[in-house]
Amino acid sequence: MNRSSEWGWWGFGALVVVFMTTPLILVVLFSFGESALTNFPMGGITWKWYDELFANREFWKAFRNSLTIAGVVVVVSTVIGTMAALTLARMRPTLSQPLLIALCLPVMMPPLVIAIALLVYYVRWVGVELSLFTVILGHLLVTQPFVILIVYARMATFNYELIDSARDLGANSWVTFLTVTLPIIRSTVIGAGLIALAVSLDEFLITFFTISGGNTLPTFVFGKIRTEMDPTINAIATILLVVPLPLAVLHQVGAALLFSLTLWVTYELSG
Amino acid sequence: MRELIKSWKTVPSLAVLAGLFVAPLSLLFVVSFWSKKLFRVVPDFVFDGYQKALVSYWDVGLNTLAIAISTGIITTTIAFFFAFFIRFKAGRYGDILLFISLVTLFGGYLVKIYAWKSILGLEGILNTALVGLGIVSEPLGALLYNRGSVATALTHFLLPIAVLPIVASMRNIQDITLEAGRDLGAGPVRILLGVVLPQCRAGIIAAFAFSFLIAAGDYITPLFLGGTDGAMIGMFIASQFSIRFDWPLGSAMAFLTMFSCLTVVLIARLAIVRGRK
Repeated sequence: MNRSSEWGWWGFGALVVVFMTTPLILVVLFSFGESALTNFPMGGITWKWYDELFANREFWKAFRNSLTIAGVVVVVSTVIGTMAALTLARMRPTLSQPLLIALCLPVMMPPLVIAIALLVYYVRWVGVELSLFTVILGHLLVTQPFVILIVYARMATFNYELIDSARDLGANSWVTFLTVTLPIIRSTVIGAGLIALAVSLDEFLITFFTISGGNTLPTFVFGKIRTEMDPTINAIATILLVVPLPLAVLHQVGAALLFSLTLWVTYELSG
Repeated sequence: MRELIKSWKTVPSLAVLAGLFVAPLSLLFVVSFWSKKLFRVVPDFVFDGYQKALVSYWDVGLNTLAIAISTGIITTTIAFFFAFFIRFKAGRYGDILLFISLVTLFGGYLVKIYAWKSILGLEGILNTALVGLGIVSEPLGALLYNRGSVATALTHFLLPIAVLPIVASMRNIQDITLEAGRDLGAGPVRILLGVVLPQCRAGIIAAFAFSFLIAAGDYITPLFLGGTDGAMIGMFIASQFSIRFDWPLGSAMAFLTMFSCLTVVLIARLAIVRGRK
């Protein structure tokens, strides 16, 4: 391979990395900038946008709502998603494949369509008050596919003889699950929960249409972008960007999981 | 049947799917045939919604498809070459590059839109830089509020999502196949398009489908970055539910959009599968 084409590849790679990271780096940078405009010169280094953000009661309400929703969603979604995945993994493919595809349809649809469908459904057909509860339901719908796919993919390489041995030794199905299956797939299940957490925290459209009053972090940011382009957005953005990072890095499987997930989806889509 | 009884553990998940997806979408489909009388929406079986959608919004619909298809093609193309770089050229840095792509998945969808608004705005970072460097004398207004700004922000948002499935499908390609191609006299272009491309078409289809579908259904990006030129159908669908309360029209637009998008994905898939022969 000649030298110049090698350089061309590295140049291209560098350009793509710059394109992907620059907007996010700028946001983090300006969250510490003195200037009220998100632009250079940024002035001195300051924490004032964080102070201003933390002094805002609406921010804390939105923060609490986001945590409440995400907390419930992560637990419920991880439990029911894992239950479904474990069962689907032991079914005949002719039965499990269509079910899997059906369960994953919600993440292949535009979120806007799901949002308006849920809104009309809640308001006109069910007659339920819009609240955090209705938001949680919507989030369950779009997080459980990730949990199911991730755990299902893990079970493809699971050694079922271990379960059979435990059963032969007299353990009932609960004991087997708690002492054999769960310890083995624990890191996968935690990783699936983290992905569900990330999806729930960033979910905007379904939340926006089904929350009626109140805010979550994304709808709070939306309100700010719409009314004033104020630098506290940089501060929230930095928090949202930085908080999930240690989780993902600490939990090294996070990346590997996402990878196996896409591998699986790719495989499915290719039919 | 025994298998079905044993599978009660899938019931909660399937209940979520049935109660919060199948039922709402079916009912939305029913609503798309209702009629709107003054300030009320009444059950009916008419095609008013579809007619209005096709007559009044065909141009926005085409604009949406144009933006989404170009975003999908640009994103998938960059993602393909970047994935190739990660897999075959970057050596031990490949994993770091993949990790950087994963990190940019976080950070929030709205935050990215906000970042692009600050970069491309009239008093934005890019304009300041261009004026400061003396490349232009006046700030350029044309950077924001058009199809280009929407496509740029969408490409930025979708690129990591598109890179992953292509890298995943390239993992299965052995280095030795490339060497064999080289030994048989194929040039770099021939290897890329004749050896690598056909073997990762599954990843390419997935990348295009993801990026195209998300782009076509998006409404916040065009709302903040699109202006009138970059308007997309999602904005008008949303306004039927938030301001105008014309549910039949909004639902009809949603189903027409989904139908057109599915058609595009199927055609793209066919083109990619056929193209390999």
